[in-house]
Amino acid sequence: MEELIQHLTPILKEVWGYIFPNEIELHWGILIVLYPYLTGLVAGAFILASLVKVFNVKELQPTYRLAMLTAMAFLIVAPLPLLAHLGHPERAYEILITPNSTSAMAMFGFVYAWYLMAVLCLEIWFEYRRDIILWAQKETGIKKWIHKIISLFSKDISEKAIHFDKKWVKIITIIGIPSAFLLHGYVGFIFGSIKANPWWSSVLMPIVFLFSAIVSGIAMVLILYMIITPVRGKQLDILCLDKLASYLFYVMIIDFSLEALDFVHRVYESEESIKILAYLVSNKLFISLVVIQLFMGMLIPLAMIALIKIMKSPPDLKKMVYFISAILVQVGIFSTRWNIVIGGQLFSKSFRGLTVYKITFFGLEGFFASVIVFCLPFILLYILTKVLPPWEEARNP
Amino acid sequence: MKNFLQKIPEQVKRLSVLLIVVIVVFIVATSLLTPKDFGLVGHYRASAIKINADQKMQYAGQEACADCHDDMWKTKNAGFHKNLSCEVCHGPSLNHVNEPDQFKPDKPRDRIFCPVCHEYNPSRPTGFPQILSASHNPRRICVTCHNPHNPTPPQTPKECSACHAEISSAKSVSSHMDIPCTKCHEASDKHKLHPREYLPTKPANREFCGQCHSQDAKGDKFIPRINMATHEPRYVCWQCHYPHLPEAQ
Repeated sequence: MEELIQHLTPILKEVWGYIFPNEIELHWGILIVLYPYLTGLVAGAFILASLVKVFNVKELQPTYRLAMLTAMAFLIVAPLPLLAHLGHPERAYEILITPNSTSAMAMFGFVYAWYLMAVLCLEIWFEYRRDIILWAQKETGIKKWIHKIISLFSKDISEKAIHFDKKWVKIITIIGIPSAFLLHGYVGFIFGSIKANPWWSSVLMPIVFLFSAIVSGIAMVLILYMIITPVRGKQLDILCLDKLASYLFYVMIIDFSLEALDFVHRVYESEESIKILAYLVSNKLFISLVVIQLFMGMLIPLAMIALIKIMKSPPDLKKMVYFISAILVQVGIFSTRWNIVIGGQLFSKSFRGLTVYKITFFGLEGFFASVIVFCLPFILLYILTKVLPPWEEARNP
Repeated sequence: MKNFLQKIPEQVKRLSVLLIVVIVVFIVATSLLTPKDFGLVGHYRASAIKINADQKMQYAGQEACADCHDDMWKTKNAGFHKNLSCEVCHGPSLNHVNEPDQFKPDKPRDRIFCPVCHEYNPSRPTGFPQILSASHNPRRICVTCHNPHNPTPPQTPKECSACHAEISSAKSVSSHMDIPCTKCHEASDKHKLHPREYLPTKPANREFCGQCHSQDAKGDKFIPRINMATHEPRYVCWQCHYPHLPEAQ
């Protein structure tokens, strides 16, 4: 009790206006911010990969396998913030064995399992099968066995079998696009369907989530590609970078339009919550929404990419601008998630007051825990690239 | 049949085996891990009801109190506290019902319990009796003057602020601070005894405010004046201006 009072007293001093007693402390903290951010990266990286297979964007071929592995690494980590937040990871299997079809949250396990097993694993398996078989033939020891098991002891690398693989990669990608929309649209749906919260309750929420997810996914693959390639001592493919930046630009335009539409719609509707939301945006969220999300994360990268495209710039300048833009976009999209999750809990349901979010450093829901969760996908991606090298030169001729 | 099996690509066969393994593991895990009584009565374990029902009972319910204390129960149910159950104030009392002599229920006799509901708080509804316990007869316990079973004030309140503390505190810092409540509201004496049955009047037209605020009204020069004919003629004043704190937006 004493501890609770000590924790709440400094927060109480920063409460503005009138709030209900149970609104002082936020229930969804930084881990829940991280969760839509991570799933967004999954969906975005997958959509990017699908551009190669379904829409035949040949320039993006160098990033195809990397994008798939990125999606995989982030997808495996995506439920961890939820498990850490709920605090009972040993009970997680229960939502699978006792499915509750009337709860969107309870169906998460199935959406997740579908996306992981029916889409990502299967597509990666078909895509890599021939290479894995050939790697296993050349290797010895544990690596040979890992590759043999991953290939399910498959041996057939005849022309017909490879053709079959290619056909199925395409089919799974086509199934995967609505699945990626489902995965991330679902996360938006969870927020958008909370009708008691005017900051969240919007039918546009799943679509806005989805497009910001694609933005962040493309930017993440761009960053990874630009870091990994020089580290491996290889040359960056400028055509690929140009194409990535172009797609990033187009999707950001759509994302920006959707968010602007949402904003205009809210202002025009002017429901009873509009005053407190306006106050929220102009005070507690000013830095994270107006400065970071809108200017740093959206307008500046848009302007930078547009300028570099209009002017004929040297490749090195292009690379620098793309890299900085992608980093800014990441910060911006993380800020978007922050503004949605934290922003939605900062104002009182009385519409007459605001509370404050104090992030803790230690503990299961603290800053360090979220830093660890955020770093995990990169470690996982490193391991995945060791097991399934996505590089051109690793492919067997 | 053999011919048909040979036509299936090798990958599909291997994936099918994996798929079957996954499905079998899922079915086995579901049947082993799902509690046997899950879903019998709803989306939960049926035995959860028994676990909850087996918890030790604490409350008796006010009907049990009425069996012995029916005089007090009738008094309470005729007064303002009619919607409160006895155990709201007296605490969980099943023990007392079972063994009346051994266990006595709580009787809050301090100045802390009643202000849980009656301390001034701007979020409480207008007209709900509220006090500032620091200044309201500070050294007496509540039950000295108020009978909790029939909590009518010992004396008829002289001031409106006795009940309408929020309005009173807002008005006291507004430019209407010097205007008595009765200037705008006519309240019969019966309102003080039966506040909900006999409601005070409220100004119903623009002309009432116009007595002070129209251009040709008599009074001090600093009072804001408006042209009654052109200033939002379709609205009554209080639709935009809160009369108890007219400065508020």
